[in-house]
Amino acid sequence: MTATLAKENVIGRPIDRIDGRRKVAGAAPYPSDFDLPGQVHAALISSTVAAGRITRIDRSRAEAAPGVLTVLTHDNAPALVDPPQNALGSTMRRPLRDDRILHYGQHIGIVVANTRAEALAAAKLVEIEYAEEDPVLDLDDPRAAVEDNPFGMASSRGDVPAALAAADVTVDGTYTIGAEANSPMGLFTTVASWQGGRLVVHDTTQAPSFLRIALSVMFEVPEENVRVLIPFLGGGFGAGLRLWSHTVLTTLAARVLDRPVKLVLSRPQMFHSVGHRAASRQRVQLGADRDGRLTALDHDAIAANGMGDNLPSPIVAVTPATYACANVATHERRAHLNIPYTGFMRAPGAVEAHFAIESALDELADQTGVDPVELRLRNYAEVHPESGKPWSSKALRECLEVGAQRFGWAGRDPAPRSTHDGDQLVGQGMAGASFEFYALPCTVRLAVDRRGNATVRTAGTDIGTGTYTITAQITAELLGIDVENVRVVIGDTDQPPAPQSGGSGLAGALAAAIQNAAGELAEQLARLDGRPGESFASLLDRHGLDELAVTGYSDLAGAATHSDVAPAGAFAAAYAEVGVDEELGVVRVRRLVSVIDGGRVFNAKTARSQAIGGAVMGIGMALLEELAYDPNSGRVANGTFGDYLVPVNLDVPDLDITFVGEPDTFNPTGGKGLGEIGIVSIAPAIANAVHHATGRRIRDLPITLDKML
Amino acid sequence: MSDIGYVRAADQGSALALVAEDPDAVFLAGGTTELDLALKDQVVHPSRFVDIGRLPLRGVTRDGDRLRVAALTTMEELAADPTVRDRLPFVREALLLGASTQLRNMATIGGNLLQRTRCRYFRDPEVGACNKREPGSGCAAIKGVARMHAILGAGPTCIALHASDLCVPLVAMDAEVELLDADGTRTVPLTQFYRTPGDRPDVENVLRHGELVTHVQVPLLPAGARSGYLKVRDRTSYEFATTSAGAAITVEDGTITWARLGLGGVGTVPWRAWEAESVLVGAPANERTFRAAAEAAIRDPFTVPGTAFKVELAKRTIVRILRTVTS
Repeated sequence: MTATLAKENVIGRPIDRIDGRRKVAGAAPYPSDFDLPGQVHAALISSTVAAGRITRIDRSRAEAAPGVLTVLTHDNAPALVDPPQNALGSTMRRPLRDDRILHYGQHIGIVVANTRAEALAAAKLVEIEYAEEDPVLDLDDPRAAVEDNPFGMASSRGDVPAALAAADVTVDGTYTIGAEANSPMGLFTTVASWQGGRLVVHDTTQAPSFLRIALSVMFEVPEENVRVLIPFLGGGFGAGLRLWSHTVLTTLAARVLDRPVKLVLSRPQMFHSVGHRAASRQRVQLGADRDGRLTALDHDAIAANGMGDNLPSPIVAVTPATYACANVATHERRAHLNIPYTGFMRAPGAVEAHFAIESALDELADQTGVDPVELRLRNYAEVHPESGKPWSSKALRECLEVGAQRFGWAGRDPAPRSTHDGDQLVGQGMAGASFEFYALPCTVRLAVDRRGNATVRTAGTDIGTGTYTITAQITAELLGIDVENVRVVIGDTDQPPAPQSGGSGLAGALAAAIQNAAGELAEQLARLDGRPGESFASLLDRHGLDELAVTGYSDLAGAATHSDVAPAGAFAAAYAEVGVDEELGVVRVRRLVSVIDGGRVFNAKTARSQAIGGAVMGIGMALLEELAYDPNSGRVANGTFGDYLVPVNLDVPDLDITFVGEPDTFNPTGGKGLGEIGIVSIAPAIANAVHHATGRRIRDLPITLDKML
Repeated sequence: MSDIGYVRAADQGSALALVAEDPDAVFLAGGTTELDLALKDQVVHPSRFVDIGRLPLRGVTRDGDRLRVAALTTMEELAADPTVRDRLPFVREALLLGASTQLRNMATIGGNLLQRTRCRYFRDPEVGACNKREPGSGCAAIKGVARMHAILGAGPTCIALHASDLCVPLVAMDAEVELLDADGTRTVPLTQFYRTPGDRPDVENVLRHGELVTHVQVPLLPAGARSGYLKVRDRTSYEFATTSAGAAITVEDGTITWARLGLGGVGTVPWRAWEAESVLVGAPANERTFRAAAEAAIRDPFTVPGTAFKVELAKRTIVRILRTVTS
């Protein structure tokens, strides 16, 4: 234990989660576990039409019901201020603003009663009449208002039309993906409590710092008087990245009643209250020479967006950086529909884009006769295709090659329909993946005490990815102490501000901030005249100090603007083998190999868990998951786990997960975020395998059995 | 808030009396459907549950070539029964492809017969138009998201599916249901137990109020017969059938001499494919016969856009199971 020498090989070790014991013992407090003294319970009133206006509300029966304390609707609730746009570009139409109905299930009121049962019962007694309008529910509906390039993500290099016209070979495909629900296990919960002028909120959020700002603006209280707590989240997959109306309504009810109010969403409410992956349609046009070298790539994407909503859907953002191609154009549009608000869902944009592009590349491989792996290597972007700068790290080639080797790709007969096994046609497909670098500024407070323990504090939270554990590992290694001697305090906005757990951006930003803090600490220790090999305890003791605390900061995105390398995100390749029962249409994944370049891996076990989770979610995206809206009412028609199908164990074959690559040269800790990369290449690999098995190209996800008949 | 009463019946007689005396009382067995409908979905509104879970209606007995299954026997218990395994293998297969292990350990055979449809329009009280909940209110599913819905026995009033796997081989085997009320016992063939929706989708079977399912009798397969159950679905487990078929066949010298065929995933009631059986018996066991049987089974389907694919899928399901049990 030294104050100056780092401990080696703590980072990367597959240690158990430091919070694992608390979780399995039921001692980790998730939001729904919080109960405050004097707390009362809320239930939501939701719209049963998808478009129109509220013409009458009668609260009287509900107000007279047993145990009811208040019923708030747009015509009696105190006014709120509109929330600000956050760093993710997300804003929100504040609840109870007026009488307008924009989607089925819209929260149009909240009932608070002494018990949850009383609140739920009373919510049904509120009488509401609507002037109903015909909802716009479909991307193809000509009535849908379509915005062109709303976020300036469209881009162009070279001359795509000329290159397409001159190409030896072209591919032109349209790819559609159904809306998907994030489906975290934990039911989203808000427990709001006003203590004088100070607001304390336990909330299922992946972005506690953003939520604090939003609530401070909406309720007109200083930011420092808002505390958001989320030590354990219960899964989000992006669902916790936006401010949602149930959080605002619960906070409002708590203020009106001046009592702690608790709201737990029901499972059906989860399907329309916390966002989803927007339905999308993409057209990809490729031009290439006879050897499969890309000469043109045109990518057009349209995604659904809520009515009156403003959420970026960055489908084409990653496209220009995927492959070496001189002529690339991207186009982005969004259509406003009377659907529940969309949100972010694991690898938003990137996973949609890769389904289209990697499917189109497979079509190109088919046309040119070039092996799909070789095709990707021929178009490998050795430098960043936009900036021309060298990548800070890129082991996509290794992903492709190691994956091919582990999968046994070399023995594959390229002809579709070439392999049978009993009633099944067997096919093998693959896809590559490139993920964008992303980071926001992050601050940590790092302290060491006289007993030799270190404490790391930051507002960011752990959505189950292992943030607690890697924080402890990084700190232990940098300070030369044991992991057991590091305390991690996160998920609390009274701690220094941190980015959201999202965009695969927290681990890298947090690691860099801890490293910055460790450097700062080393300087301070040097000033205290630390002796070689002296422990923190001895040093502090000598100087009569209880603890030494420093602040660390990282702004990787800021640093990127003047870097001479192009900061890289993670890369991956997936290889899938499917069996298709052609007579019955059933597709099953038989084998899946996923190889990931995540830079320096902070914990081999939790990283692997992320890759597994991404692969499972990718199987769901490829074969099972689709939110269905009733075409007349706009109601989510399959909003239960019996009807909205996520993969079960039997849908998931043995997964072969491998990490490759070197520490990243841009992030000072060498890491790259890897929470999302694991899903990105799964669906196209499966769709390409289905094509290889059957000769049929399914360009519409999920590939359910009716599409295979 | 509507309170629901609960009483545990001490014996069979008091169970019958407790339900008979109150038109809104219901029997409660395993609870895997009833509690969802009453407490979570709140689409049925019983005044009280009469818990029959501890009545001595559990176990399987054999009487010659028949099996007599007490109604409170769980799905797992029936699947583990040696006679079922040896002499009714497709009943065992259907049981084990249903629900999940946890549910099968709770769910009873009587409850399985009486399970309510999974139609999300029926199960969501916010949906106003449901003839099954409120006769005359219409059917939102017909113009809505229909996929896990029926194409046989369905009509413009209702397309709700009877989703049981178990009932498919049971109707194929001419199982019979023993019913008990204060007036005594009666036995009804399972093929006559259910009612297609017609103009009363709310009336799903011939059970009278207060009548209790006490036993199910299932004839064993004749010697030499082979059986199989095929369930087709997107998710490998824990999903209801998109289509399913249960077949039992005897083949002698290449000719089918005895055949039974039940269908799941397609009917408003567990579907017995009588016409297909007529095609099969006396015909050679080959692809041509199987396809002809499938065509006969799925005649005059009532489809909506979301269920149209089931017409061909059901036929292929039939062909596949017939091929499997005769190969």
